[in-house]
Order: sequence, then structure tokens, then C-alpha cells
Amino acid sequence: MCKSVQEYLDKLKKELGRSADPALIQDALSDAETHLRIALDEEKSKSPGLSEAELLIPIVAKYGAPAEVAAAYLAMEPHIFPIREQPPHPDTRSLLSKIFAVLADSRAWSAFFYMLLAFVTGILFGGWAILGGIVSAGSLIFIIGLPLFGLFLLSIRGIALLEGRIVEALLGVRMPRRPLFVQKGLTWSDRYIALVKDKYSWRALLYAAMLFPLGLIYTSLFSLLFVFSLSFITSPVLELIFRLPLDLFGDDVFTPVWFLPVVFIAGLLLLPLTLHLARLVGRLHGRFAKAMLVRK
Amino acid sequence: MVDTTDANKKFQKELNAGTAALVLLSILARSDEPMYGYRIAKLMEASTDSAPMMKQGALYPVLRSLEGSGLLESYVDPSVSGPPRRYYKITDSGLATLKNWTKIWDQTKSFVDSFLERNNDV
Repeated sequence: MCKSVQEYLDKLKKELGRSADPALIQDALSDAETHLRIALDEEKSKSPGLSEAELLIPIVAKYGAPAEVAAAYLAMEPHIFPIREQPPHPDTRSLLSKIFAVLADSRAWSAFFYMLLAFVTGILFGGWAILGGIVSAGSLIFIIGLPLFGLFLLSIRGIALLEGRIVEALLGVRMPRRPLFVQKGLTWSDRYIALVKDKYSWRALLYAAMLFPLGLIYTSLFSLLFVFSLSFITSPVLELIFRLPLDLFGDDVFTPVWFLPVVFIAGLLLLPLTLHLARLVGRLHGRFAKAMLVRK
Repeated sequence: MVDTTDANKKFQKELNAGTAALVLLSILARSDEPMYGYRIAKLMEASTDSAPMMKQGALYPVLRSLEGSGLLESYVDPSVSGPPRRYYKITDSGLATLKNWTKIWDQTKSFVDSFLERNNDV
């Protein structure tokens, strides 16, 4: 029997915790908390005299015991398009086909797209985290600074959820699909303290701030590699037929004719290698995002 | 000897695995507006006099699965009076799937019924 919603959630977390993904746990807890609190509010208005523990008995009987609900989530998880987290299978292809197969791999292209998009998200999210953080922290010397700082931390949580959706869609890493919410029934000051004391708020803030330099690095590196590979591939046609030189850091250079096949092959190899690198960096960034943006 | 309660539970669980998705799609197809989990659970509870076939908590992972397959879409509404609610709405692909699943359900039902009726005649 559960005396409070919090106790139910703790039990559910324990049941899920043995084998579930942290993002699934966060979603399951969010679903349960929303459902139980709405049901509790409704029952309270019907029977105001009863305690939370008494009201919860029929609610939990209908919702399901923590073990039952956990089992339902765990049973369904493999069917939830694990986006692209499929089990690896032995790769028996030759080295050359392994290198070039990445060109037909949607995961690699979406990771590459994430690297290009990181410039925009880095400027928007990272810029907001750094500038907004400095301004709202600076305003703390005034009384108005307190609510401003609280609103800033809330906005960072919103950004964390949005970035989580982008990471899941483009990097294929399972991320939370539900927002976090502060326990109901708390006073405004308690909510504020909970928000500030919650390590999640600070981790999300640190992540958003780090997105600024990371976004710049990702986008610069990958756009440069992409442009190089395309210009190398097209250089024989551009130089021999259209008489357009290669532009290497501002200098116009005509490649010696005997060297053009080497440049062409280098470009052909650089493109799939860029995609391999995008997939690798995407995987590492996905792990980083999961460590920072999923509540432990 | 097989424990009949356990066998019943297992049978019910296996049946629910597919039917819950069909019922949820059907409810959301009939609804004029997006619905959140608790409201769907209450609607299911109100529309039948018999004991509910599954726990309300088991509906949410099915909703998530349907959303993951693109048959539903959802958004979060930060309710003023309570916790934020996730509203679900059926997609065009969900409507098409519901049509196909309903056909499959009708065929399965009449197939199973034809055998059950024969048993009753014995």
C-alpha cells in the first residue's frame, strides 16, 4: 500500500530501476505522477475528509501496483521505435564497402545534420545560457532578481527538453519525452528552493552553456570537411573543363594534371570518412547529452 | 495442474497486448479534440459495466508506443490547476491503420466466434 504519490513513485522507480533506461524511467514516473495527482485532486473534491493514503487505495487499484505498471512499460519498450538503437549485428563486409556504405546510412547523415545544426542550437541555447545566466545572476543583488533567476532556470529546463528531442531525433539516443515538474502542493518559496537545489537544473545549464563552444566546433569542422571533400571530388571537372582553380585559403591553385586523380580519390574517401566521424562524434555527444539531461 | 487464475491472467494479458492499441486508436479517432491519458482511462472505465480489462497504468506505455510508430501525436499542456498534461491526437496514418486493424479484428472475431459457437452447440 502506498501512503502518498511520492511513495508510489519511489516504488515504481525501484521496480523500473533494475533494468530500464533512465529516459524510460523519467517518462514512466511523469505519466504516473500526472495520472495519480489528477485522480487524487478529483477524489479529494468528492471526499474531502479522507487522507491521501485512503484516497490512493482505489486509485492505485485501478492504475496498477508499481510492479504491474513497471512490467507494462518494460514489456512495451522494445516496441517503441527505439528510434535507431538497434542491436548490432556482425559485419562481414569488406573494408572498402564498410567505408562507402556510410553514404547510404541515414544515421550518419542525420548525425552530420546535427553537427551543422549545432551552430544554430549552440548560439541560441548556449548564448541564452551564458548571457541569460550572467544577467539573471547579476540581477540577484536586487529583489526582482530572485524571480528572474527562477524563470531563467525554468527556461533552461525547457531548452533541455527541446535539445533532448533534437538529440533523440538526429542522434538516435533515447531521451526523456516528458517534462519534469515540481511536486504539487508546495509553496512558491519551496518550489523555488527545490528548483535551485535540483542538480538537474545545474546540469542542464552547464550542458546548454557547453553547447555554445561545441556547436561552433562541430559546425566549423564538419562544414570544412564536407566542402573540402566536395571540392576535391569536383576538381578534375572544374579545373580541366571549366578552368576554375581550387581556392585554398584565399590562394587560387591549379592542381598539376597528373595529381588530379589523387585529389579526386582523396575527395571520394574524405566524404565517407567525414560521415564516419560525424557518426562517431554524434554517438559521443549523445552519451554526453544523456549523462547531462536525464534525471538520475 | 495449471493454476486457472494464472492461466486466465496470462490469457488476458496476451489479448490485451493487441486490443489495447486498437481501442485507444478508436477512442482517439472518435474524439473531436486531443485527449490526455487520465481522461482516456476514465472514458474507458465509464463505457463498460464489466471489470476493466487492463490497469490504467498499462495504457500509457501503449500510448507511447503508438506515438512512437507515428499513429498518434502529442503535445504537453502546462495545466494551471495541476501537473502538465500530455494530450494525444490521432494522425492520418493512425486513421488508416485503425481502418486496417478494424478489418483484421472483424475477421479474427468471426473466426474465433465460429469455433466458440460450435463448442456451445456440443
